[in-house]
Amino acid sequence: MNPLELTLGIMTAVGGFVDISELVFAAQAGSNFGYALIWVFAFATVGIMVFGEMCGRVAAVAHQPVFNLMRHRLGLKLGFVTLIASVISTLITTSAEIGGLGLVLHYLTGAPYLLMAAASVVVLGASMWVLPFKWIERTYGLLGLMMLVFAAALVAIHPPWGEVARGFVPQVPQGLSTKELLKFGYFAVAITSAVLFPYEAYFYSSGGIEEAWGPKDLTTNRVTTTVGFALGSLLAIAILSMSAHLFRPLMVGPQLPGTSALEAAIPFGRTGLLLALLGMLIAIAGAAVETCMANAYSVSQFFGWEWGRHKKPWEAPRFTLAWSAFLLVPLAIVMTGVDVMTLVEYAILFSILVLPLSYLPLMLLANDKSYMRQYANKWLAKGLGWTYFVIVTAAAMAAIPLYVMTAGGQS
Amino acid sequence: MLRWALLLLLLLLAACSKGAEADLPSIGEARSLAAEWALVNEQASQGHLTRHYVDTMRQSCREQIETAAKSLTQPQSPYGAEIAALLREPDDASPTVLRAHAIRLKQIEDSLESA
Repeated sequence: MNPLELTLGIMTAVGGFVDISELVFAAQAGSNFGYALIWVFAFATVGIMVFGEMCGRVAAVAHQPVFNLMRHRLGLKLGFVTLIASVISTLITTSAEIGGLGLVLHYLTGAPYLLMAAASVVVLGASMWVLPFKWIERTYGLLGLMMLVFAAALVAIHPPWGEVARGFVPQVPQGLSTKELLKFGYFAVAITSAVLFPYEAYFYSSGGIEEAWGPKDLTTNRVTTTVGFALGSLLAIAILSMSAHLFRPLMVGPQLPGTSALEAAIPFGRTGLLLALLGMLIAIAGAAVETCMANAYSVSQFFGWEWGRHKKPWEAPRFTLAWSAFLLVPLAIVMTGVDVMTLVEYAILFSILVLPLSYLPLMLLANDKSYMRQYANKWLAKGLGWTYFVIVTAAAMAAIPLYVMTAGGQS
Repeated sequence: MLRWALLLLLLLLAACSKGAEADLPSIGEARSLAAEWALVNEQASQGHLTRHYVDTMRQSCREQIETAAKSLTQPQSPYGAEIAALLREPDDASPTVLRAHAIRLKQIEDSLESA
């Protein structure tokens, strides 16, 4: 295990953890329910650690990406349905990220939002064309560490640490009306979906194959997914906690993605604001790249095309065409003028519906000793995997009724 | 099967409900935007923010409040009047004035919710 590789892997996981959905929902969760939803972030983070570790292990041992497994394990028809559903959900997520990029650039430069969204797609496309996989991952992940300004801001504002700590204990606040309970449920489901986005599994497992992982990389995989995702999740929890401390008393329930940046501006002034906006820009750009490539990986793997950024773009032409299309179609959606917050809500909703179908074949293969030999799931991974599978299935069934009954968390 | 049909019917009714209750999401949105606008103006007055950020946030707040106002089913109501008054405020309105709008909208929101 190379310590430099490990450190870079952890830092990349930290910097790449937060995306526009987590930014939006963490800030809204804090302003609506104080610290009471911290435990949902923590709980969902353990879930993404479990599935992320499994994805990496399957990639390292069986050299199978998620969508290969899906076709073999679910059969062609159900596999195809899952492919379509996941492509749609990830496409909406990419649209939300591109809209988010346009907005953050709009806040930074004052230039028109749609022009900034188009410019960001050009830059993302160029970086994906030029950079090899490892450097795509590292560039966005490491620059995304500017988001650490939110953690520093939390320390600087001196929140009630006792209340923050109590937020890690699973709870439903006392004295909520039925409406508020439903809203609490909606936020719990939305946060679970935002942390466990299926594209993360597709991207992570395909990345393991891009980097030619083998059994020797299993420790790096385990440490990266546990330490990296845990630290990344703490950033989201910092955003939530600051929102609870700063926004809730002022009746601010952030309706604009840019409001989160105020959390760093309040203690650190302009420097804090700029670091927060730049951190958000890079973190969202990283998520846009991941979602776009995750879709290209999924389609290429399902149809058995040549794929991978370890190849030159023209050596895998259909894969290159796929990621280009999965960057341009979301831009076209953004250009229709649809609201970014609406896109974020739909991304969350569609993703939670796809989650059970994404993680089931992964678990079946990770449990299978004929593929995984001595690296198959042991009792802990099996137990946690099935527990989280049941939870995401329940969340998927509750998502649409909760969305309708709470008007997307607005009432 | 019957239970699912009933649930679906209830959901449809909830989604189609009209009147003040149906306006609650828009009132809440306008209340939050008024509070966000106040916070932006407060921080701007302390020199904590950049010009571009302040301008774009104010513009976004105003546009979103206009959208919320347009989506009201009862624009002639007290909350409709309050939102209209909020929209008449200048971009650099005092945070205190903007917070007063937010407080009034919150009071209306609470009274409608408890009704």
